[in-house]
Amino acid sequence: MKSKNMSSYILDVLTYLSTIITVFALGLILFFLIREGSALIRPSLLTSDYFEQKYISSLPDEYELYTGTLPELTEDQFAIDNYGLIVEESRDKAGATVVRVVYLSDNSPLRNLLNENPAFQNEPLSLSEGMVINRVAYENRGSSLPSRGAAAMAEEMNNTDNIIRQFDFGVEGGGIRGSIIATVYLILMTLIIALPVGVLTALYFNEFAPSNKITNSMRSFIEVLTGVPSIIYGLMGVAVFVPLTTSLFQINSSNLIAGALTLAVILLPVIIRTTEESLRTVPNSHRFASLALGANKTQTTFKVVLPQAFSGILTATFLGIGRVIGESAALIFVLGTAIKDQVRILEPATSLAVHIFTVMSNEPANVELAAAIGVIILTIVLI
Amino acid sequence: MDSLFEIRNLNLYYGDFQALISIDMDIPKNKVTALIGPSGCGKSTFIRCLNRMNDLIDVARIEGSIMYQGEEANGEDYNVIELRKKVGMVFQNPNPFPMSIYDNIAYGPRQQGLKDKAKLDEIVDKALKQAALYDEVKDRVNDSAMGLSGGQQQRLCIARALAMEPEVILMDEPTSALDPIATQKIEDLINELKKYYTIVIVTHSMQQAARISDYTAFFYMGELREIGETDMIFKAPKLKQTEDYITGRFG
Repeated sequence: MKSKNMSSYILDVLTYLSTIITVFALGLILFFLIREGSALIRPSLLTSDYFEQKYISSLPDEYELYTGTLPELTEDQFAIDNYGLIVEESRDKAGATVVRVVYLSDNSPLRNLLNENPAFQNEPLSLSEGMVINRVAYENRGSSLPSRGAAAMAEEMNNTDNIIRQFDFGVEGGGIRGSIIATVYLILMTLIIALPVGVLTALYFNEFAPSNKITNSMRSFIEVLTGVPSIIYGLMGVAVFVPLTTSLFQINSSNLIAGALTLAVILLPVIIRTTEESLRTVPNSHRFASLALGANKTQTTFKVVLPQAFSGILTATFLGIGRVIGESAALIFVLGTAIKDQVRILEPATSLAVHIFTVMSNEPANVELAAAIGVIILTIVLI
Repeated sequence: MDSLFEIRNLNLYYGDFQALISIDMDIPKNKVTALIGPSGCGKSTFIRCLNRMNDLIDVARIEGSIMYQGEEANGEDYNVIELRKKVGMVFQNPNPFPMSIYDNIAYGPRQQGLKDKAKLDEIVDKALKQAALYDEVKDRVNDSAMGLSGGQQQRLCIARALAMEPEVILMDEPTSALDPIATQKIEDLINELKKYYTIVIVTHSMQQAARISDYTAFFYMGELREIGETDMIFKAPKLKQTEDYITGRFG
């Protein structure tokens, strides 16, 4: 029995097909990002610096070997009893073998090392958990290198005949802690600037402005602003906000404040529109009731109307956060593309999205890290 | 008879449309005046003139004189805020703010700058008692007003108006959105309140006008056709048209 005609079938099939294509495209993005980036996604990526640190050190003339016990080993871990140390073998971004410290006793002699760097000669240094051991050089034999594996290094260090001459260790780079902090700064500063201005503008348009040609054309102008490509906002930021902030704070570089100001301008139309939409849902009867009670227009607007628009303002806030996290084009000029580990609001920095741009512009491009950051951005936006 | 409002030659236009035509009317003090008439006859428009709510409608233009306690209240320079403090209003649909019962009633006094908690408590209690709502909500004044029933919400709106200690209460079809029992309660309340306040009420119910009002004004097509003591209007109207409307022959 045929209950539908041909054109209905075609339309049905088209809707199904479109949905499948959309889901497939989304799945493809996720699949690509996770496949490329999953190897790098671990807590240390979020908490460590981008630039690696290398230390060359030696043990003091007199030191005591570790005599205590060590925790249970799991698979792929190796104990170095003499030094109160447990290491594991893993791989760095480039795929090379590294030996990473997973446990270091508080009484380990490796907590009291001396810096061999001529600039900081004999200043105290300490190994700590999460760091990697780059080389252990001995008085009496060849060095232990990570490339020969953690097992070999542990065996050689455990041999009491071997006397350590030089101990090289470091912090692996490639972390995105700085960019995460810069992104959080950007979100906070942008919202602090854009929310009050946007909400008050929406209040003006919806509550105070007379309905005439000028306000209507201003409204449509604001609507148009939502469609302006963000790189044009970036140009405006370079032309206006960078000079403004540099002369205001006596600095000579692009900076986070200029970035936040630029993003605030990008967010304004979104915030104004969302807030206005929620203001329109506030019933007029509430405005009348308030006015009939002898409250003036301002009191009515701020005490009765604004609280009811709260959910709309919240929506605007979340949209704004998403936009700040995702924005890159506008920030490349205004914020700079220099990845920073120490973020200061009067200096250049990169947000997560710009971080992707920077690592992809490097030679060679670091697709894995970019994909890992992509996964992180997607996760934040989805939450 | 003391008149609180004296309205002379009041004309009101919505753009090109004339909604009120040359109204002359006195509103007696401490009495209930009911405004009746078919839909669109101008009675709601008229009642909104008394607290200048028509100011909020851009296209409305008002000519004529509204004397309130011997003072011209329809002038540009008259303090509208002061007028609205003395002339409270209850609307057709219950419109409590989405706040607690307490905050609803305290809203008006707070906007006048009153912050003293003890004084506010006193005002809220008094308003709730006057609006015959106290017993029903005394244990939950901090709950949202949106949780009250329609009739309770309307009495809350009356309490909210009373909290401003007005002289006049304007009621624009206050029971048209309510069920008969809630209507009954509001009518009892009006009978109680008329001892202390001047009440002007717009109603579509002839029985309601007859039950609660001292004076009745019949509006038709933007004109005030007949006004008089309620008994007279209902028993022996001067105009045939009034009689036809009251007896339900048109409307």
